Amino acid sequence: MAGSGTAHLRPAEQVVLRVADLVVAFPAGRGREVRAVSGVSFDVARGETLGIVGESGCGKSSAARALMQLPPPRAGSVRLDGVELTALRGEELRRTRRRLQMVFQDPISSLNPRRRIRDIVAEGTRVWGLGDSRVDEMLEAVGLDPKTAAVRRPHEFSGGQCQRVSIARALVPEPEVLICDEPVSALDVSVQAQILGLLEDLKHRYRLTLVFIAHDLAVVKNVSDRILVMYLGKVCELAPSTVLVDHPAHPYTRALLSAIPRSGLDLPPSDHLITGEPPSPVTPPTGCRFRTRCPKAAPRCESEEPAMRAIDDDHWVACHFPEQGEE
Amino acid sequence: MLRRLGPAFWIGSAWIAVVLAAGLLADVLPMPRYDETLAGPPQAGPSAAHPLGTDGLGRDVLSRVVHGSRVSLGVGVGAVLLGLLVGAPLGVLAGYRRRAADAVIMAGTDIALAFPALVFALAVVAFAGASLRNVLIVLGVLGAPAWTRLIRGATLSVAQREFVLAARALGARDRRILWREIVPNVTMPAASYAFIGMAVAVVAEGGLAFLGLSVQAPTPTWGGLINEGRAIMENAPHLVLAPSVVMFLTVLSFNLVGDRLRALTAVRESGLEPVRRAAPASLPTAPHAAGDVLLQVADLRTHFVAPHGTVKAVDGVSLTLERGRTLAVVGESGSGKSMLIRSILGLLPAGQVLRGGKVYLEGEDLTAYPPERMRRVLGTRLAAVFQDPMTALNPVRRIGTQLAEPLRVHRGMSRRQARAEAARLLASVGIPDPARTLRRYPHELSGGMRQRVTIAMALSCGPDVLFADEPTTALDVTIQDQVLRLVHRLRGERDMAVLLVSHDLSVVAEWADEVVVMYAGRVVERGPTAEVLERTRMPYTEALLQAVPKLTDPPHRRLRVITGRPPDLAALPSGCAFHPRCPHADPRCATETPPLIPASDPPPAAGPPAAGPPAAGPPADGTPPAHQPPPAADGPPSAVTPSSPAEPRPLAAAVPPSSTAPEHLYACWHPRGAGTAITEGAESHGR
Repeated sequence: MAGSGTAHLRPAEQVVLRVADLVVAFPAGRGREVRAVSGVSFDVARGETLGIVGESGCGKSSAARALMQLPPPRAGSVRLDGVELTALRGEELRRTRRRLQMVFQDPISSLNPRRRIRDIVAEGTRVWGLGDSRVDEMLEAVGLDPKTAAVRRPHEFSGGQCQRVSIARALVPEPEVLICDEPVSALDVSVQAQILGLLEDLKHRYRLTLVFIAHDLAVVKNVSDRILVMYLGKVCELAPSTVLVDHPAHPYTRALLSAIPRSGLDLPPSDHLITGEPPSPVTPPTGCRFRTRCPKAAPRCESEEPAMRAIDDDHWVACHFPEQGEE
Repeated sequence: MLRRLGPAFWIGSAWIAVVLAAGLLADVLPMPRYDETLAGPPQAGPSAAHPLGTDGLGRDVLSRVVHGSRVSLGVGVGAVLLGLLVGAPLGVLAGYRRRAADAVIMAGTDIALAFPALVFALAVVAFAGASLRNVLIVLGVLGAPAWTRLIRGATLSVAQREFVLAARALGARDRRILWREIVPNVTMPAASYAFIGMAVAVVAEGGLAFLGLSVQAPTPTWGGLINEGRAIMENAPHLVLAPSVVMFLTVLSFNLVGDRLRALTAVRESGLEPVRRAAPASLPTAPHAAGDVLLQVADLRTHFVAPHGTVKAVDGVSLTLERGRTLAVVGESGSGKSMLIRSILGLLPAGQVLRGGKVYLEGEDLTAYPPERMRRVLGTRLAAVFQDPMTALNPVRRIGTQLAEPLRVHRGMSRRQARAEAARLLASVGIPDPARTLRRYPHELSGGMRQRVTIAMALSCGPDVLFADEPTTALDVTIQDQVLRLVHRLRGERDMAVLLVSHDLSVVAEWADEVVVMYAGRVVERGPTAEVLERTRMPYTEALLQAVPKLTDPPHRRLRVITGRPPDLAALPSGCAFHPRCPHADPRCATETPPLIPASDPPPAAGPPAAGPPAAGPPADGTPPAHQPPPAADGPPSAVTPSSPAEPRPLAAAVPPSSTAPEHLYACWHPRGAGTAITEGAESHGR
């Protein structure tokens, strides 16, 4: 699971965003540090939606923020259209970062409670001196009434509406890549369906590239072309959505899928595929990080970290003993 | 917002305004000058000419108090503004920049706070003289470090929120982020503390003046007046009383105003306590019979009286639950599913609550229990697990102490026995190394482990019914599976009933025997899980099922969208509450509330009901149609069957024979799949 390596990256000219060997670390007290993201690589082609899935603490949100350089990663490379973001500083970074925008999980915390909705959405135009017409266009594109938005504040809106505001705000500076960090997990299912549909519409209308982060595999599959599975700061598996769900090769991916009740998939019960709880990210296991919970763990998994390798056409897995050839 | 400030705020503000105006207009007000001696007889008590009397030199006390307010308020307001002027920018800088700036500024504040304040005041007055300016500077500078700390804390909490991150992603510069995003959010807490700070400064100035370290005579100050009056207190107590009372009222007013402003910004606790006394205005309960079941809820209602109307959080819900079975309550947020559990348990927030309906545990009416008796039932026979395990765990006590307490209180165990039983309980919920876990604090455990501990606590006294309100919503999917498996296993081992509240239909499909679908505080469909999910009748249930993405569907498949928003519980739509969002609604749905109808019966006839209205409309008196008998095809049922409690089961819908197979019921005039076996609704979500 350790899933290091960059074998799965596509040629640079095919992709808009290319992340290689990303490392994000935080101080954990007493001189120690947590490597929330530990050598993660992935890329996204223009117009594609990459889903990133994993449980809490797997580093998916830290990775998203590191893409935005908020804060910049400890190590690794983030290239947007060939421009190395990690090498940029100050004004240059500010200008380039604008092409990446983000939508966050918490609809309430995402919006400044003291500002009016329209001002929140218009922030991007004011920072960059764009015309005000784009504000109304975006408000309408996400299904909000510009007249109401001019007078209301966030607390007068529901969670789903707040999330629409966040999306409109992120689209105002005309980004190429939209990073959605758990954009629907705080919402009710009926509202979730609305937001997922809206994201699909906007993606086509504004030719967006999406990085969609969530813990719910069914949601991720619904919006993604490819899915990346993360565990404890590492990559486990990468495959087109249908392949990943129908032919999961990594033991962790299989465990994730089998834990979903009534998934309609033919998998053994999840307690046969995964045991225990995630280990501490401060002192991760040696070798493969999943081995402490993996029913297939062998001595080799302890000593040798598996690297990403292809087991099929565009199906990559970081495991010494992947599940293969089963229906 | 202004309403929430309350009368204390307005009385306090008014007093401050009066004192402030008097101080400003002191020279033009029709009264003697403060230093005019023999304006009246010396040491005279209050009179018409001198409302507060005169002092030893015959000077008008009212005039002196009013003039004294100039110094007192001037120092109070001035010192706070000066402190803010110095402290606030440093605090914002430290909180926003963090790192080196934070370390240096905070080290400086720590040193400043360690400096003895009185020595500083004495030194300044000794060297620079006691003038208004010097007092202001002393108090302002002394207050600045506290302001730095306070503003830094407020800035930190704002700077961590996502909207600040979003502003940086948009490319806003630091200066813009500070002014647009941070400062407006720091202003409110700062303002509330400013008022409290003014109270402190007024008192401090009074103290300094009393010691003779403030503005010198002849300029009057409140503290100085008290000091002067002290010498002749026996002869003229009003000389001390008048400035003291005015100062007391002013300080109190500043504190009240600051306190109310702070309450506006503070997050309010959701006080979960057994209701102290039965609400005076109880809602009527439809006639029903107590069935021979473990738990029976009959026509339960919980309404809150809010400023904008009566919020009908739970509005006539009936259900029954047997041992060894799991009943799931599903619905979106605001459907009343959590409030249903709290209503059953009698755990309602304080405030004006109207309650109705009955809860029977093995035939005993729990709603008739006094709070003391109800408390003994909670935890022993009825136990609950909530979404956030930290609400049930005390963060500063060890797991072992918390687990042992109910065992010792309710089951009378010795300390040693309780400890052994606690370890046994932890082992039963799958916690490895229970002995070690007993010595730990909640924060040392993972979310999944904490939830296991709360389940162990809930099970400690062997409850008959376990209420689980979204127990796994905060947990990861692999842990969720483990916890739900655990609950399922324990249900079997302990022969309990489980009432599970969840928004996740796949969880419900997997683990529940029966399901109750709630919308706007009412039950809209219920029955055996497989029946309800596969032969869905109510369009709302159908829409919910179709809105959930499925793993077996291809990517980019459009999900069913339920248009509109859940209704405002204080202003429910007429008729069926779902009708504004329902694609099958017709005029009848907007006028008549559909009752719960057995799915085995023929569907209601289209158009106006022919043979007697099944529901005589939603009557104005609030009688719920949910318990009216199902509309039989062969006869008009009466609206409410009159019955005495002795009569067994007068209402089919109220007491379904749940001990065998619960009936599939729905509330809709235009059910899906009616008439035919399975229709498009059932096919498209076939699980």
